[in-house]
Amino acid sequence: MRYKSWFALFVVFALMFAACGDSTDETTPDDGGTDATAAPGTVTTIDIWIAFADGPRLNYTEARADEFNAAHSDYNVVVTAFDSYNTVFEQAQLALEGGNPPEIIHFFEAATQEALDTVDADGNPIFKSVTEAIGGRTEILGEPVILDDVVSAARNYYTVDGEFYSMPWNTSSAIMFVNQDILDAAGVGEIPKTWADVDAACEKIMAMADAPKGCITWPNHSWFVEQTLGQEGVLLANNDNGRSGRATEVDLDSQGMIDYFEWWKSLDDLGYYIYTGVQRDWDGTNTAFQAQEVGMLIYSSSDTTVITETGTENGFNVVAAPMPYNGDMPYEGNLIGGATLWLRNGLDSVTEDGALAFMNFFSNPANAAEWHKITGYIPITEAAVQLLKDEGFYDESPNSLVASDQLAAAADTPAARGALLGNFVAIRDVITAAAEDMLVNDIDPKQRLAEADAEAQQLLDEYNSLFGG
Amino acid sequence: MSALLALLAGAGAGAYGFRTARRLSPARRYLVGALLGTVGAVVVSVLTGGCAYSPEVDAAQHVLGIAVAGGIGLAVASGTSVVLASAKGGRDAGSIGSDIRTGTYRLGWWWPWALLLPTIVILVVFLYIPAVQTFTLSTKLVRLGAPRQIEVCLANFSELLTPNPWILVILPLVAVGVMWGLALWKRQARLGSMSLTAATALQPFGIVVLLLALYYMFNGGPRGYRGIYVNTLVVSAGTVAGGMILGLAVAYLAFQKVRGMTVYRTLLIWPYAVSPPVAGILFFMMFDPTAGIIQHLFELVGITFPNYREDVFLARFAVIAASTWKILGYNVLFYLAGLQNVPGDQIEASVLDGASAWQRFRYVVMPSLAPITFFLLITNLTYAFFEVYGTIDYLTRGAPAGKTSVAIYEIIRVGVENRDIGRGAAQSVLLFLAVIGLTVWQFKQSESRITYGGGG
Repeated sequence: MRYKSWFALFVVFALMFAACGDSTDETTPDDGGTDATAAPGTVTTIDIWIAFADGPRLNYTEARADEFNAAHSDYNVVVTAFDSYNTVFEQAQLALEGGNPPEIIHFFEAATQEALDTVDADGNPIFKSVTEAIGGRTEILGEPVILDDVVSAARNYYTVDGEFYSMPWNTSSAIMFVNQDILDAAGVGEIPKTWADVDAACEKIMAMADAPKGCITWPNHSWFVEQTLGQEGVLLANNDNGRSGRATEVDLDSQGMIDYFEWWKSLDDLGYYIYTGVQRDWDGTNTAFQAQEVGMLIYSSSDTTVITETGTENGFNVVAAPMPYNGDMPYEGNLIGGATLWLRNGLDSVTEDGALAFMNFFSNPANAAEWHKITGYIPITEAAVQLLKDEGFYDESPNSLVASDQLAAAADTPAARGALLGNFVAIRDVITAAAEDMLVNDIDPKQRLAEADAEAQQLLDEYNSLFGG
Repeated sequence: MSALLALLAGAGAGAYGFRTARRLSPARRYLVGALLGTVGAVVVSVLTGGCAYSPEVDAAQHVLGIAVAGGIGLAVASGTSVVLASAKGGRDAGSIGSDIRTGTYRLGWWWPWALLLPTIVILVVFLYIPAVQTFTLSTKLVRLGAPRQIEVCLANFSELLTPNPWILVILPLVAVGVMWGLALWKRQARLGSMSLTAATALQPFGIVVLLLALYYMFNGGPRGYRGIYVNTLVVSAGTVAGGMILGLAVAYLAFQKVRGMTVYRTLLIWPYAVSPPVAGILFFMMFDPTAGIIQHLFELVGITFPNYREDVFLARFAVIAASTWKILGYNVLFYLAGLQNVPGDQIEASVLDGASAWQRFRYVVMPSLAPITFFLLITNLTYAFFEVYGTIDYLTRGAPAGKTSVAIYEIIRVGVENRDIGRGAAQSVLLFLAVIGLTVWQFKQSESRITYGGGG
């Protein structure tokens, strides 16, 4: 008896600790690129946190950091990798709250509004506009400033109140990859352009004797929903998608949204669409495409190179094409996705210049072109595009040009620019949850979207009550 | 009106909590208890500005506010009663330390406190302060990096519950009434009578009523807690039951004296060295609809195994299977140790008495293992409640449609991923209360059923 009671107390507190305890993992920076050349004491360390922990993209970043460190002996850029945008966002916010925050943080597009709004304990913004920090200079520490040369799609998305707050880096768009061999076998002459084309192609593909498991797939990620709204010219939020003023109303049950969800559900009901069962499932959808279980994959252009090469290894031809759109509505434009580099506020001028120099070096034409080649993210500056064209890169890799072309064709309208929205990450979850409910539990899209709309509106209202003016 | 009810609840709960203070006469006992409970309720109401009773908030919050007042009253009164009792020492010391004789430290009254200091400091810094912060945060709308916070009183809790205040009042009373009634019936029934058999058989019914009452108290809507509640029940029950039954079965087999038994035993314990996320990844790969071995094996016999991530039953099964597999080694380890302590003479005696293998297991081995079983029940429940996060995150990420999102997974999803710290904290408090409730219940149950051998 006597020790049992104490044991009970202990268990209760242990559980409480587990429930309430701080769940943040102490993340130790991995020391990629620390081979500094100058003596300690004179070297300024610049920490950069990125959301890419996979080999090629992390290696690329570390290699650029090493080059920069070699060229600027008084700086030491240290790259720390996290496994997702969400994680880097969480960890950065916790570090900013009371830790050791990095100088440069890699934030995804959905966090733009929150990055602009977030303040530190004293009420100062945590990030400084890179335009303001550059202050009209054309060169910093010998590195040419590339900000004015950024391609229009990224410029349109990331320009808030007329200026860049963050430095564009990895920028992609949603495009479609088709297994040309399956399409040929099914007698689909032309790669589908509209939803109706997709329906027709799927009918042919699934009618084959050795039909694949399904016809098409894409990750259940809100980004594709947003892409569709851009194509349809439908706004996700009021005040011009949050571009002419803070968004205060979301609209998840617009007709454009319902049309898309109904089309999606019809594909699923017919067995044309393969749902992997996991939200934001980039791996599972890609695997299904590579295993030739589907003939078409709507995906991010960020993996164009890998998808094309892996397809070839697996013995089929991958052709990239623009993302199919709703043929019943005039096409406005696809939007970008990806992330930018944010500069922390309150740095001393030496550190700040180092950080700015690195950001500009990181996306200089040669680096941006190289980045495009190994991934499929679009070349971020016009100079990089020109460089790639001069090299003849697109003659041998036509798939890599699709995303850039698609973005260049987009109209500069609020819908096609994409929404700026508070609490966007959580609202995206509401959208994917609604889609999953619809696909898995066979729920009427219209009704489910109305529920989602109320839920998202509450999230936005709460956000605005905390952050709004 | 609600405020008055809250005071009454505090007083009533206080009186109940103080009932065991044996030094006082019953009337005084209840009076002091009621007073303590009321004071507790008043202090909390003053600290929160009585926000839960204001006419602006919905009725569910009023009910919650009254319940909180009652809970505080109970905690204050029973806390005081326990402290008083242990301070007096001797045989009056209530449940804690009933065998300890009174005595003093020679070096002075401060000496025990000095010895306790390191522990107390650690507890305060790492447990009590975060816990108090969690309680405070749970009444707010908070986000990291926001310029302000907004007080929302009990809204973070009430939105998890049904908006109908009468259901919130009546169902818990019904559940407690049924459980109480059943317990009373059992206590009053004569030994060996039919009535006792019936009462014993009906005991689990009380739990069922309680679980059902909770089910209907939670809101079934998108912000409600009903779905999470069901997921948590299914996954925890499945993991604990599966883990312990399989653990005992495997341990019993591994206990047999066969050739190479040390190898078997070592290998059986290995899964425990695997961390929960790795267990999740392994099962993710095995059950993967495209590249998984399970799919491949089924295809060999011409069956298409459905995608578990799209099927509620299979998804929960996969989570339970992965969690069970991961904890199995741990359970086997403890049961193996326990089996070695089963008294050989009793086994021999039972063999001589002609007991079958099953009877030996049921009437000799299992009772000897009761302390181990009890220990494992607690550690397994802890595991099922808190450590399955990693497994779920890699295996299903709560899919399909949130049907495998258990309490701990939801807390992290809401509080960390969606950065909605107040709601996350509110769910933490809920889980905390659930665990306290379960622990109290377990100890009540086990006190009557477990002997540790010898005194104590």
